[in-house]
This record gives sequence, C-alpha cells and structure tokens, in this order.
Amino acid sequence: MKARILVVDDDEALSEMIGIVLQNDGFDAAFCYEGSGALEAFREFNPDLVLLDLMLPGIDGIEVCKQIRAESDVPVVMLTAKSDTADVVRGLESGADDYVPKPFKPAELVARVRARLRPNETHAAETLQVGEVSIDVAGHQVTRNNQAVSLTPLEFDLLVTMARKPKQVFSREQLLEAVWGYRHAADTRLVNVHVQRLRSKIELDPEKPQIIQTVRGVGYKAGSAS
Amino acid sequence: MSSHTSTGKELVPLDVSVHAKPKRFTIAKLRSWIRRPWIALKLRWQRHLIYRTVISTLLFTTLALLAAGAFLSNQIASTLYDERVSQISKESERGLTQARSILESASTTDRASTQALVNSTLASLEGDGATVVRDFVLMPIAGDQSLYVGPMASGSLTTRVIPQDLAESVAGEQGIYWRSVELGSADQAQPGLVVGTKVLIPPGREYGLYLVYDLSSVQDTLEFINRALSFTGLILLVVVGFVAWSVARTVVRPVADAAYASERIASGDLDRRMKVEGKDEVARLGTAFNHMAQSLQEQITQLNNLSAMQQRFVSDVSHELRTPLTTVRMAAEVIHDAREDFDPLTSRSAELMYNQIERFQHLLNDLLEVSRFDAGVAVLDRESTDLNSIARKVVDTATPVADDYGSIIRLSAPAEGCVAEVDPRRVERIIRNLVLNAVEHGESNPIDITIAENHSAVAVTVRDYGIGMSEEATQHVFDRFWRADPARKRTTGGSGLGLSISMEDTRLHEGRLEAWGKPGVGSVFRLTLPKAEDHEIDSSPLPLEPAISEAILNTVGDSFPLTGEVPKIGYTPLILTSETEEDDDVTDPQNSSSESKKERN
Repeated sequence: MKARILVVDDDEALSEMIGIVLQNDGFDAAFCYEGSGALEAFREFNPDLVLLDLMLPGIDGIEVCKQIRAESDVPVVMLTAKSDTADVVRGLESGADDYVPKPFKPAELVARVRARLRPNETHAAETLQVGEVSIDVAGHQVTRNNQAVSLTPLEFDLLVTMARKPKQVFSREQLLEAVWGYRHAADTRLVNVHVQRLRSKIELDPEKPQIIQTVRGVGYKAGSAS
Repeated sequence: MSSHTSTGKELVPLDVSVHAKPKRFTIAKLRSWIRRPWIALKLRWQRHLIYRTVISTLLFTTLALLAAGAFLSNQIASTLYDERVSQISKESERGLTQARSILESASTTDRASTQALVNSTLASLEGDGATVVRDFVLMPIAGDQSLYVGPMASGSLTTRVIPQDLAESVAGEQGIYWRSVELGSADQAQPGLVVGTKVLIPPGREYGLYLVYDLSSVQDTLEFINRALSFTGLILLVVVGFVAWSVARTVVRPVADAAYASERIASGDLDRRMKVEGKDEVARLGTAFNHMAQSLQEQITQLNNLSAMQQRFVSDVSHELRTPLTTVRMAAEVIHDAREDFDPLTSRSAELMYNQIERFQHLLNDLLEVSRFDAGVAVLDRESTDLNSIARKVVDTATPVADDYGSIIRLSAPAEGCVAEVDPRRVERIIRNLVLNAVEHGESNPIDITIAENHSAVAVTVRDYGIGMSEEATQHVFDRFWRADPARKRTTGGSGLGLSISMEDTRLHEGRLEAWGKPGVGSVFRLTLPKAEDHEIDSSPLPLEPAISEAILNTVGDSFPLTGEVPKIGYTPLILTSETEEDDDVTDPQNSSSESKKERN
C-alpha cells in the first residue's frame, strides 16, 4: 500500500511540485493550502506523514503541529523558509519530528520522508530497563513505575537506541544517524530538542535527568541513577 | 633607569638622552609641584567664561576706581589746603602787622613794662578775631644779651617748631614768610603752618614773631573724605562685580546649556532640547538650537529607518525567494534526472540550469546570512564542542571537492581532543569556508589543517601551498565580494561572501580570524576562539606565519601573538575599476583600501 502524505503549504506551485516528486517516488499525496483547514484535512485524509510549512495563512505551522500532536503521533516534518534558531526550535518543541529547510533538493525531501516512514523493524520480544523506566520494545510500550508513558515513535526510537547500550555515550551525530537516518552532518538541535521532550515525559525531574544523562562536550547516555 | 640617575654625573655622557632623561624628570616634577594650583586656576580660567568675565571686570574696575579716587582725593586735598592757606595768610598778615605796629610804636623803657606790653599784644594776637586756632612763638633773632623780653611761646609750643630756614628768611628782608611744618611729636605728627615776620621790641631789638596754625582739622576732613571715597569705591566694586557676574551668567548659562545639550545629542540622546524662556536673543538661540536638533533628529531617524528598512527588505526578499526557488530547484532536478531522454542541446541546458540554480541558492543563503548579521539578529548558540570532530566533519564534506582539484586534506589535531564553548554550526561554517577557500586557491597541493589549544583559547589554522596572496590582499580577503584578482575566473562558483561571513561568525565569538600570505608560497588562515564565553584571548596557540608553524607542529600549549584588534567589519562598497584588467594588482581604489585598513586597526 502506498504511504499517504499530507502536504500543508500555502504555495500552490510548491505543493504541486512536492506532489509530483512524491508521486514519482511512489507516495500518495494530498494538499491543504491553509492552516485553518489543516486539522480537518488531516482527519479526512488520515495520512502516514505530514509535511507542514511553518508560515501559513490563518493558523501558523506551529499551532497546526500542536493540534495534530494533540490527537496523533503521526510523524510531522516541517518545511521552513527560516533557518533561524528560534523558529526551528519552536517548531521542534511543538512536536515536529524533523525539518527540511527551504530550498531543499527532491532527494533530500524524499530521504527525510522515508526516514520517518521507516517501518519499525519487527522486534523480538525484548524488554529494556533503565532506572525506573521499562520498555517493551515489541509492544511499543513504555512504563515508569507501572504507569504507561505515551511517546511518539521518534521519541520511542530515541529512547530504545540509547537504552539498548546503557552506559555507552552517544554523540549527537550518532543519534542523528541512528534515529533520524541522516547519513551526514545535520542540525544537532534536533537531538537537543527531542531529548528535552523525551526527558519531560520520562524523567521525575527533567532539570536533573537520571535516565538520559548529558555528557558534556560529547553527547548523551542512558543510565540509571543507582 | 634609576641607576643611571645616581651615576649619570660622574660618567662621560655617552648617550645624552639616557642621562638627560632622569634630570628632566625631576625638574618636571618640581615644576609640576609649583604649577599644580596654578594649572587648576588656569583651567578654571580657560574653561569658565564667567570666571574670566567677572575677574577681568573686577580688575579693570579696581584700576579705574583707584585712579579716580587718587585724582579726587588729590584735588580735594589741594583745594582745601590752598583755601586754608590763603585764609591763614590773610589773617596772619593782619595780625602780624597789627602786632608789629603796636610793638614798634611802644615806648616802654624798662623790662617789666615791655614784658607786659608784649604779653598783652601777643595774648590778643592769639585769640583775637582768628577763625583758625593759632599759637605764637616769639624768638629773638640775634644772640643779643641785653633783652627785656626772652623767647616766648603759647600753648605747648617751643621755639623748636620754627624751621631753621624760615627763621633765616625772617631775619633777612622785612616781610611775611610761611612754611608748612609738622607739629607734635614725631609719631603723632600733624600738619601745621608757620607764618613769621620780623618785629622790633624795645629796646630796639629784633625778634621773629611767628604764628603757628594747626591744620589737623584739614587733615581730618581729608581723611574723612578719603574714607568715604574708599567705601564708595568698595561698594561700587561689589556692585560692578555682581552686575558683571549676573550679566555673564545670563549670557553664559544658555551657552553652557546649549553646549551640554549638544554633547547629549552627540552622544545619542536625540530627544534632548534646550529650555526657552522669553523672546530675547538667548531665547532665539534656544529656539534655533532646538530647531536644528529637531531636524537632525528627524534626519537621523529617517536614515535609521531607511537602513532598518533596507535590511528588512533584503531579509524579506531572501525569504520570499526561497519558496519559488524551492519549486524551481525541484523542477530543475526532475528535468535534470530525465535529461537522458532529451536531445543533446536540451540535455545540456538542463544541466546548466541545474548547476546554476545550485549556485543561486548558495548566494541566496549567504545573502540571508549577511543580512542577519547586518540586522544584528545573529545570536550565538554556545555548547561544549570538540573542534576535532568539527574539523573531521569538514574534511569529510570537503574531500569530494578537494578530489576534484587533486588536493589532499591533512588534519593534525591533539589526540585528547580540543573542547571549547562555541557555536558548532558557526565554527563548522568558518572552517568549511577556510578549507574550501584553500582548496580553491591551493593549486592541487595539499591542505593542512592544524588544531591546538592553550590556557585561554583554541585555534585552527588552514594552510595551503598554492598561489598565495600579497600582504595587501590579506587585508581585504574578508571584504564582501572581494576577489584577489578580478581577472581570475570563478571556478567553484562561491558567492564571494564566504570569508566575510566567517569573519562575522568569528566576531560573534569575540575571536580572531587572521590571514597571512605570500605570492607563490601559499597562505594561512588562523581562527582563534576563546574557550568560553567570558574568556578573553590574549594569545593564540598557533602561529600565523608558517615559518615557525612547521617547527612547532608537535608542541601543544604554546602562545603566539594575535595581530591587532578584533576587526570590525561591515559593508565597504567595492568599486572595481575594470573587470577585464589583466595585471595581478589589486584593482580597488586607494580610498576604499585605506578605509578598510582604518577599520581593521
């Protein structure tokens, strides 16, 4: 079955061009040209992934992203004309998994889409334990003290990647490759923002993280407090 | 220096300046000691118009008053004195003549009656009809022994008050003579006048009869007048001083206000205005000043707005261009991918379009970046970063380009890593720009990247062994759109903004980016960054000039001097005289080069 992608962008020419490229690569695309109709289109089309422009008439991309996140864990990839720190970080914090700065190459866009649609490998029944957090990899379940924690697929991948090799320090670049599928250098802020989001869900005190610890100058590692 | 001072005099002064210096120093010190209060006064005199006005007014008024007072006092004194003298001379003449005629016509023949006559005559002379108090002195002229009457004097007088020369005049020709004298004791001297004449007293002996006038009342009057004059003068002086002060103040204060307001405006407080009261000249000054300030403010605000607008415009244009550029780029790529189905011409066109869109996009990115710097919205995103890993990343991305040029990139870095609090994206961009620049100008020779650190800073040098550059060129390589040789064709299609963006990135870190070059030998770019935000860098761990660089390549932790200050860079418009000029010289005009030199100093 073709993967379904919703393109939310006010520029019709660009939307059409993105559609051509996506269809070329075997995706099914639907379009929405304004922020206010995005959520409706999302419910109607039920996509596997959303490509979301940050600057939209009506409701802006960040707000749309929050609305979608409120009811779905579907991957959201932002299209940004601004590469300013503040905008990118705000977009990621509102729940977007990844972003592609304009102008982008078709191959780049498709690679980002594919990376987010990457089918989760069928895992053997495996349970990981980091401190008080236990992860049921096959069942996509995370619990903290027997209370279920809801994570997006991306956050789940991030946690599993680090939990599989506890005590190993992952550089941001390693995480970008393992979780986001970047082959070469990309924006390490992706990692920073998503680690923060992940911490806010699984840590007792996100200010003093115990599960995902920062290793200054290098990156992050999973480790129990004990 | 101090050892020179003590031995300086015994030694033959080989070097005059060395020995002269301490001596000059002590004299200067002494002089400054004396001068210090004088200088303070002088400063006050020079700085404050009001002091100058009041002091000079007081000085001149005092002089004028003294002159007028002296003149007045003198006039009054001589008039009073003359008047008194003429009065006295009339009275004394009358009295003396009368006394003489009485005495000369006397027919007494014995001592007692003569004495009685003289007594009564003189007594009447003393009191009689004179407006001025007078005393008499009777003194025989020749030393005759057979006198009926001896020397006499009224009051407390003695014959000693009569000056010698007057006595001689009286002894001579018949007549009335007078002299000014001093009466009383030496410490309580009072002015007096002595009038004398020769009289005959029986038995035909010659006497000098003198009337002595006390002029102390005239003196008292004069002293009173002088006191009054001085007092009046003093009051006048105070009044004049006050008037001068208040006039100077009314004039100087608005001037001082204007000066203060100008200073405030010059230092950026554009809203500063002068207070305007009344309609006089001072008010006109205030009004004119405020008017000027107003129009200045309007112009400056307008310029600021224009410049802000222009920056906004550049930024907006870049943003607005991105969306259609994305569409065009994707379309170009789709066409490019399908070019094998086209005829050769269309196929080549598709390639050209694809490549040029790529280049266009780089230019747009750089422009946007520059506009962000100009607008002052670029911010640092510091985090602990290992420069080694950044450099390795840059080497990875630059290797394909270097392969095209036939260069290899060599990285020499401390094994333990080189961590600093920097913005990794910006530092990566700086190093990437330096490396790509080196590859472009490296003439297929190897490129060396060296990383090192010391107590306060980390540094990266990028060296090539290519065409190099002149010393003048090293001062311009960071200028926007600057090209060492306008005749050289662009090969990598860089935007011409790469190095100036690198410089801006370095400046955000408060670091240094320096260039060295020698034509035909190669060039070196050195980036020195502080290890953390508040560290100040005083030296660089790596040398800029390669001569030392090779020798110490393995030593880590050394310090090398930085050149100059943190350069300020902004846009210096570059006027190229001719794009087609073929010589190797730098072709931008003299003024632009001197201007950028100034900026770098």
